[in-house]
Amino acid sequence: MFLLVLAGFLVAAIAPGVERVTGRLAGVVLAAAPLTLFAMLLRRAELLEPGGRIEAGGAIRETLHWAPQLGAQLSFRLDGLSLLFALLITGIGGLITLYAGSYLQGHPARGRFFAWLMVFMASMLGLVLADNVISLIVFWELTSISSYFLIGFDHAREAARRAALQALLTTSAGGLAMLAGLVVMAVAGGSWEISELLEQGETLRGHSLYPAMLLLILAGCFTKSAQFPFHYWLPNAMEAPTPVSAYLHSSTMVKAGIYLMARLSPALGGTQLWFAILAIVGGATMVIGAYLAIRQTYLKRILAYSTISALGVLTFLLGLGAAGGEAAAGGAAPVETEIAVYAAQAFTVFLLAHAFYKATLFLIAGSVTHAAGTADVRRLGGLAKAMPLTALAAGLAAFSMAGFPPSFGFLSKELLLEATLKQPSLAILTTAAALLGGILFIVVSGLVAFGPFFGRRQTESPPADASSPTEASPHEVSFPMWIGPLLLGGAGLVCGVLPHGIGEHVVAPAVTAVLGADQLVPIELALWHGFNLPLLLSTIAILTGVGLYVLHPQVSRLLQSGDAAHRFGPEAWYHGGLEGLLAVARWQTGLLQNGSLRAYLRTVLLTAIGLLGWTLLRVDSLPLGIGPWPEKPEEWFYANSYRLAVAGMILLGAVGAVHSGSRLTAIASLGVVGYGVALIYALYGAPDLAMTQFVVETLTVLLFVFVFYYLPNSPRQSTPAHRLRDLLIAVAAGAVMSLLVLVAARVQIDGRISGYFAANSVDVGHGRNVVNVILVDFRALDTLGEITVLAVSALGVLALLKLRPRREKLS
Amino acid sequence: MNWLLTLPILLPMLVASGMMLLRRRPMAQRLVSVLGMLGLLATAITLLVTVYRDGVLAIQLGGYAAPYGISLVADLLAAIMVLLAAMKGTAVVIYSTVSIDAEREAYGYHPLLHVLLMGVCGAFLTGDLFNLYVFFEVLLMSSFVLLTLGGERGQVEGAIKYVTLNLISSALFLAGAGILYGVTGTLNMADLAIKLPAAGQPQVANMLAMIFLLAFGIKAAIFPLFFWLPASYHTAPAAISAIFAGLLTKVGVYALLRVFTLVFVHDIGFTHGLILMLAGFTMVTGVLGAAVQSEFRRILSFHIISQIGYMLMGLGLMVVLAWSDTEATRAAVTMGLGATVFYIAHHIVVKTNLFLVSGVVERLQGTGRLDSLGGFYASRPVFSLLFLVPALSLAGIPPLSGFWAKLALVQAGLRLEQYGIVAIALAVGVLTLFSMTKIWAAVFWAPDPAERPASEERPASEERLSKEKGLAMMIGPIAGLAGITLLIGLAAGPIFEVAMQSGVQLLNPQIYIDAVHPVVSE
Amino acid sequence: MEWIISIVVGGLYAAGFYLLMRRSLVKVVIGLVLLSQAANLLIFTAGGLRSSQAPLVPEGAKVPPEGFADPLPQALILTAIVIGFGVIAFTLALFQVAYKRVGTDDLDQMNSTDT
Repeated sequence: MFLLVLAGFLVAAIAPGVERVTGRLAGVVLAAAPLTLFAMLLRRAELLEPGGRIEAGGAIRETLHWAPQLGAQLSFRLDGLSLLFALLITGIGGLITLYAGSYLQGHPARGRFFAWLMVFMASMLGLVLADNVISLIVFWELTSISSYFLIGFDHAREAARRAALQALLTTSAGGLAMLAGLVVMAVAGGSWEISELLEQGETLRGHSLYPAMLLLILAGCFTKSAQFPFHYWLPNAMEAPTPVSAYLHSSTMVKAGIYLMARLSPALGGTQLWFAILAIVGGATMVIGAYLAIRQTYLKRILAYSTISALGVLTFLLGLGAAGGEAAAGGAAPVETEIAVYAAQAFTVFLLAHAFYKATLFLIAGSVTHAAGTADVRRLGGLAKAMPLTALAAGLAAFSMAGFPPSFGFLSKELLLEATLKQPSLAILTTAAALLGGILFIVVSGLVAFGPFFGRRQTESPPADASSPTEASPHEVSFPMWIGPLLLGGAGLVCGVLPHGIGEHVVAPAVTAVLGADQLVPIELALWHGFNLPLLLSTIAILTGVGLYVLHPQVSRLLQSGDAAHRFGPEAWYHGGLEGLLAVARWQTGLLQNGSLRAYLRTVLLTAIGLLGWTLLRVDSLPLGIGPWPEKPEEWFYANSYRLAVAGMILLGAVGAVHSGSRLTAIASLGVVGYGVALIYALYGAPDLAMTQFVVETLTVLLFVFVFYYLPNSPRQSTPAHRLRDLLIAVAAGAVMSLLVLVAARVQIDGRISGYFAANSVDVGHGRNVVNVILVDFRALDTLGEITVLAVSALGVLALLKLRPRREKLS
Repeated sequence: MNWLLTLPILLPMLVASGMMLLRRRPMAQRLVSVLGMLGLLATAITLLVTVYRDGVLAIQLGGYAAPYGISLVADLLAAIMVLLAAMKGTAVVIYSTVSIDAEREAYGYHPLLHVLLMGVCGAFLTGDLFNLYVFFEVLLMSSFVLLTLGGERGQVEGAIKYVTLNLISSALFLAGAGILYGVTGTLNMADLAIKLPAAGQPQVANMLAMIFLLAFGIKAAIFPLFFWLPASYHTAPAAISAIFAGLLTKVGVYALLRVFTLVFVHDIGFTHGLILMLAGFTMVTGVLGAAVQSEFRRILSFHIISQIGYMLMGLGLMVVLAWSDTEATRAAVTMGLGATVFYIAHHIVVKTNLFLVSGVVERLQGTGRLDSLGGFYASRPVFSLLFLVPALSLAGIPPLSGFWAKLALVQAGLRLEQYGIVAIALAVGVLTLFSMTKIWAAVFWAPDPAERPASEERPASEERLSKEKGLAMMIGPIAGLAGITLLIGLAAGPIFEVAMQSGVQLLNPQIYIDAVHPVVSE
Repeated sequence: MEWIISIVVGGLYAAGFYLLMRRSLVKVVIGLVLLSQAANLLIFTAGGLRSSQAPLVPEGAKVPPEGFADPLPQALILTAIVIGFGVIAFTLALFQVAYKRVGTDDLDQMNSTDT
């Protein structure tokens, strides 16, 4: 299985080359890759052979090492759920590639497009097949990144760039939260392999960190699958080319979150928390998405919002399965309960049906725009005559979406209603929500598929819309562009009429995986269930929906008025949040990095005083080296008079350097300080040091004079308040240093390494001046460094004085 | 084989001295420079392999036993750092053979580069605290000169801030070294690890820890001591920025790692708790600063600060050992330290790469301002990919190196229940992604505002030939570094293994001490 | 005796820091010099000011006479002085060039790289 995924990446790498070589047929040639993978998956799943392991509800696993210390393995698992998704990804992917070849005919970056598309497909495939938590995260992020590049494919347009960024930031933020959640889950469950974690359901659900890990993981799923309130990025992602929207943003990438929730439901699902969050969020998304859909006037945006709604349905169903589960078995996996089975069944069928019709509708939207030159539904109509094949596909898809019998979509709606009706509590509420969603879906399908082809144009004269070209006579699209929609739309019909095959081979294993059951859960799909409540409700829904569609032109005026809510919706939060963050960043950076060296110094010094002062305060008894007050002060004074004199001289010099108005006085004071220090060295047994200090100090003063003699004296520049503030800081810092010295001077241990130097200076070092021997022999590396510094400094001074910048820019 | 330890210091020094004689012959100088750097690289690889195989290496210079003489010590951390420095040096030196103008070359650009590396390798390999100061000064002095080479106003202004703040750091370092000697009577780091606890003065030791935290913190550009970095890094030519960006702060981080795992481990609750807190602040201020910049290299400079925060996080996680010293927490802390080492490696490669890319961009379109750049993806797709790899790696996108580095930190943090810092780390990750995509969108995706026609990039034939060849020399190292980033990501397992080994060594200072085996005084 | 010198050290540090925060370049450089003096003196003091006897080995002896001053801090300070001199020399050149480029020695006008 690893090879299957890897193959996708390899094809991506060669795609641009292939595209250039094959020209017109690029789409056809490249589509061979996903379709081959599709076939190989089927074979791998031993589907076509009777009694295969997948069918029996089992799974196939493969593992490769990657970074085991971090828990990362390249593990893959092929069971009913992942097979279902993998087939969708590769199958629809192949048709999309075919379509894109024609759709993007003549586009200079078509090769790059194919490359990113393949990268996406391979990543998505890796995601659904992954059995290791870290691998999953890797592929998850890769899908986000490839989506970024695909949404922003038309990168010259600002709108596309912005939409891509919005999608990326939202899904990445969620993805990082999910990372944290998954790591917590892995640590809590004791394994990095999803298969093993699925066995740990009870441990995980009872863990103290369960709510945290659930919320974090769901954050990732909800952002990726555009659940309310994270749905705002999806409609904007319609800036992408249509094949991208059809592939990523309807049938595959946005389903990644759904996939993960389904995959983890045996481990994390079944609790009240799970039920509450998923049902509420999913239900809300379902309704809000559908409502927003019918307010739109552009094909792709209508489809985008209806996709959001469909994703809400799927989330909703995953949540429903948990109802009563916890109460029933006290925390056990929701395996055996009837509700769970119904919900899982509805989930799987809806997933399939939606994938079929949504991809079709998006592709058709692309074809229509391509052929008729506009995407505004108000200006589209009667295209059936010019584009018969596309119209047929549209009709099939519309049927399925609206839930008319005998389509697969109808079956999915029935199953949905059965699941909601079976809820122990809140059955009425959930059913009402489901019905509402269904009704609105009918309107949407009418708007998107029926209207443009079989209906009349609403507005004859175009509104002031400068961007669309004059409508040339629409024509049917080329083979690669109608075969995909036709096949997918047809699938929607075929599976509806003959559901048994797909039910047994695909739905049942998937349901088994979702429920985490040990044995295959038998599923019987049939179109006709008898005259029952769901059928009645469906009929009512259909009639209401059709009526609403017919009245749509009148209703839409009413709907447009609800625009105010949009201003405060989640997208506004996103923008507001981002702007707010940047404002904070600007303020903070302006405060800290304000350009003034003095401000920087103040900050550093205050930090130093703070940290050092704090540690000084924590010392219980400062071992200060003050010693007892001398008995005879005058004697002591007399004995130390020269030391005191030197100390006083240094301090006077320091004060002079600080206060003098003229530069020369300041430099002279500097000299006084330096010589005073040299005297101290001499007084305390360091003659070499004193000599060096004298020499260096003299040189320094000379240099100062050379450099600064010619500068004019500058007046005092800072205000007294500033000077006082700086004085306080400086004195505080100085005091801290004094205390440090005192503390250190008292804490002395014997046995210093200098004893060795003194003892061996003559014998080993062959010198009588211990300090010299240290410098030249024992610690010669220091001296080497010191000389290097001098050499470099000389080079630097030379360069500074001699190298003038060129007037023009250095090329 | 222990004499191997002296090579990373001696070789650059000899090469630099030799090149001073070749000042009038730039071609020869460039050749010697590149060869010298490649020699350093070979040495570094050998060193790492030896240390990985045989354990910590130590040598006493002059034959004087520790702690009397100066020791050179290479544990895995030091060996890895030396290798990274050499890799970086190689990339930059090849790049700069065509990017540095003739005048800078005449005034000693190449020798300075090698002296810089000498200082860096010396700092990594020395086992003596005062010797560390000396090597710091060597590398500091070379960096001063490199920064101001050329004398442009921007360089000079930036240099003033750089010089002043770093001199304070040196003054603090000296003070700390002096007091430390006074308190313990030794300068050898392995010996300090023994003698400081033996002195029995924990509060004095804390004071000293603070001094060194400040001194090294200024160098490592942590919060709130980082101001010199964004003020100066972007003013020098791209190659010099690149060599600074990856290396100078890492020496500071290395020093922090070394002293806070070897010497100052007596009051982990205080010292490392403080470090963890500072790590969080550093991460946040850095990335917020980057978010509001509008010039390519300034964004990158602020990101350095943010990433330093991540490296400190691994060190700071040691704080948990103060209240919970079980096998599980020790394992997690080891993972954290290993993550830090891995992060440093990843970051050096990525940051150098990004700065070199910015250099190419500025050369091709003459500016670093985001709103004046554009159109690279359309005109140079392969080059754009070479930007994308390090940029996405910095943002932590798998399967690149940055992802693994962040993952390891997050895992260590979650295992140690430090949820706050983990949350900060992840949030900062999103903002890092935001910054990188901002650069991508403005420089690569958006169309070129100056509307340079593609034809302008193909001028008259000779000029074009030399320009193209020059570009190749610049893009070569970029491609190489990008390849390494990919490699680290794809081969994360074995590489992380080495990093974990390094973490084990750091958490167990006795290994280091034993290798040096200082003479025990009565 | 150390406390007298430690006051001197503190005073030098204070003077150095104060000068460092001034607007004039000249004062900043002077401050840097004072700072390095202070640091050197600090090492000297921390090493212990117990003796006035230089660590020199007289003729015929193998070790210096009892009670000699600690030679190691002296060696360290020597290195530090020389390094400091190299740095200050460069800094002086830098500040002179800065003055030429910017036209003034007022630091507040030198923030073009930062804002």
